[in-house]
Amino acid sequence: MFLVLVGPSGCGKSTTLRMIAGLETVTDGEIRLGDRQINDSSPADRDIAMVFQSYALYPHMTVRENMRFGLEESTDMPDDDITTTVEQTAGMMGIEELLDRKPSDLSGGQRQRVALGRAIVRDPAAFLMDEPLSNLDAKLRATMRTELQRLQETLDTTTVYVTHDQTEAMTMGDRIAILDDGKLQQVGTPLECFHQPANRFVAGFIGEPSMNFFDVERRENRLVADRFSYPLSEATVAQLGDATELTLGVRPSDVALVDTTGADAFETTVDVVEPMGNENNVYLAFDAASDDPDTFVATVGGMDRVETGQTVAARFPESALHLFDRASGEALRNRELADADEIDPRV
Amino acid sequence: MSDAFAGGSDRRDRLKRVALYAVLVAMAGFYLIPIETGLMTAITSPETYTGQTPFLPPLEPLVSGTGSFSLAPWANAFDGLARGLANSFILVVPATVLSGLLGSMAAYGLTNVEWRGQIAVYVLFIAGIFIPYQAVLVPLTQFWYNVVPLQAAFGPLAAAVPLVQEYHWKLVALIVTHTAYGIPICTLLFRAHYKKLSDEMIEAARLDGASVSTIYRRIVLPLSVPMFAVVFIYQFTQIWNDLLFALTIVQFGDASVVTQELVGIGVSQSGTNFPLRMAAALLAALPTLVVYVLFGDKFAKGVTA
Repeated sequence: MFLVLVGPSGCGKSTTLRMIAGLETVTDGEIRLGDRQINDSSPADRDIAMVFQSYALYPHMTVRENMRFGLEESTDMPDDDITTTVEQTAGMMGIEELLDRKPSDLSGGQRQRVALGRAIVRDPAAFLMDEPLSNLDAKLRATMRTELQRLQETLDTTTVYVTHDQTEAMTMGDRIAILDDGKLQQVGTPLECFHQPANRFVAGFIGEPSMNFFDVERRENRLVADRFSYPLSEATVAQLGDATELTLGVRPSDVALVDTTGADAFETTVDVVEPMGNENNVYLAFDAASDDPDTFVATVGGMDRVETGQTVAARFPESALHLFDRASGEALRNRELADADEIDPRV
Repeated sequence: MSDAFAGGSDRRDRLKRVALYAVLVAMAGFYLIPIETGLMTAITSPETYTGQTPFLPPLEPLVSGTGSFSLAPWANAFDGLARGLANSFILVVPATVLSGLLGSMAAYGLTNVEWRGQIAVYVLFIAGIFIPYQAVLVPLTQFWYNVVPLQAAFGPLAAAVPLVQEYHWKLVALIVTHTAYGIPICTLLFRAHYKKLSDEMIEAARLDGASVSTIYRRIVLPLSVPMFAVVFIYQFTQIWNDLLFALTIVQFGDASVVTQELVGIGVSQSGTNFPLRMAAALLAALPTLVVYVLFGDKFAKGVTA
């Protein structure tokens, strides 16, 4: 299983990882690896390998010595076996030619590979990775992301991966765990967390650009915001119980730009357009005339023509609405998935 | 921009350079003259040495009054200092290595290994730097002459082991004293270096299964080489040039070190033999120069690291 711990910086994800590694002491609770409790084992006895953000290679040793070190210190493997294992792993990682070089002679991407190789060669019970891709440039990061996933599938070793980058979390994890301020917010598959967020924090953290939020008040079966009022269906009202102070959430990709206003479509002005090529992020404002307008985002197709200053109608489809209790942040209603078009391109 | 303007600024640059070099050469000359004078005096025959123009090379009979050339002062200086040089080497090498090694270990334990009360212990180490030598002279004599039976232990040892002499006990006492006195400053220097080592790297080694001592031996020690160069040069110079502890512990006799021998060389009732004194001083300073040359490049790395 590939578990991704994700959250804003300072949320405790690295500390969690370091507790699993045994580098921090645990005051309460239990850490289990397989069926053994490892709370009080020393880092060396946990059979865990970790990949650090800074790679933490030993600068005075060659790549080969870096990779041998763990095997020499943690096993009684004979020298010949160590040599074979190191060479096999180096082959798998494509770093055979680097074996006799020092870390200072390697590029960032190569160091990253060596750091991974050093962890893999030990064949541990679990891998821990602390933002291993954050020092790479964007292109290399994307490549390494795919490669890491492939590697993890091949090795089939439990991996705990810490990142603040929600793209990494979404694309790599079998499961993602979202942390905020030391508290676990939600654990689930990436799509669960995206479509069925447990609370407002998760809804806002997962997804790029992030979800639009509006403070609304429910009056009977209408949601009343500063600038618009939205009629709800009976079914939706039933999900809300008696909560009246709410936050309405809608993903940018669910906001449709249409040419007529209606009960669920409101007149807004285009503030800024960010063309991304395959899509445009359109910043819309109800109060475009003010100096500092409150904007929300709609993502539309890259070929759609939208211009700054244009007046458009933004439609929030009811099926795509998320509603959260404003005080607790808890999700009261998440979007319906029934209307999502399923495509199954199989040959 | 016109050529004339460019030419003008060119000429000004050149003038600035000339002035800069003139000042540098003058300064270098100013600082080197005493050494040059010493060197020239040391190769003058004592019988012909007048002291009139000690900075001129001994060119008699070509130039009168400069004295005649002779290497006799060097030969005599070497004869006079031989015992002191040997004793100093016996003392300085182990004392330097021990204080460096122990300082490095202490710094590692106080920096890269976590345990309670580190800072308090470190403060004690730092306080050690500020204990004035003068304050410990009497206790030191008491300690080595009355408390520790080192002298008694060396009697049988000298009889059993070749090359060991009974008076060597004084050198052992000096080695221990210098090591103890050197550890605080060495610890301080190494700690500054170890604080810059990546914590993640030490943690990686822990996860790789290395024990505290293995991490020191296989990771920290190899990465300390430049700092060892700094510490070795510093400690070597310090211990080699020390006179106070030597006077206190050795006092006089067979175990005298080179600084003690240097005090008396070339001085007699009939006057001072300046060529001999100069040759002896240069000879006594030579080992520290050699150490600088040997560790110089690593020293530079350690200072800038």
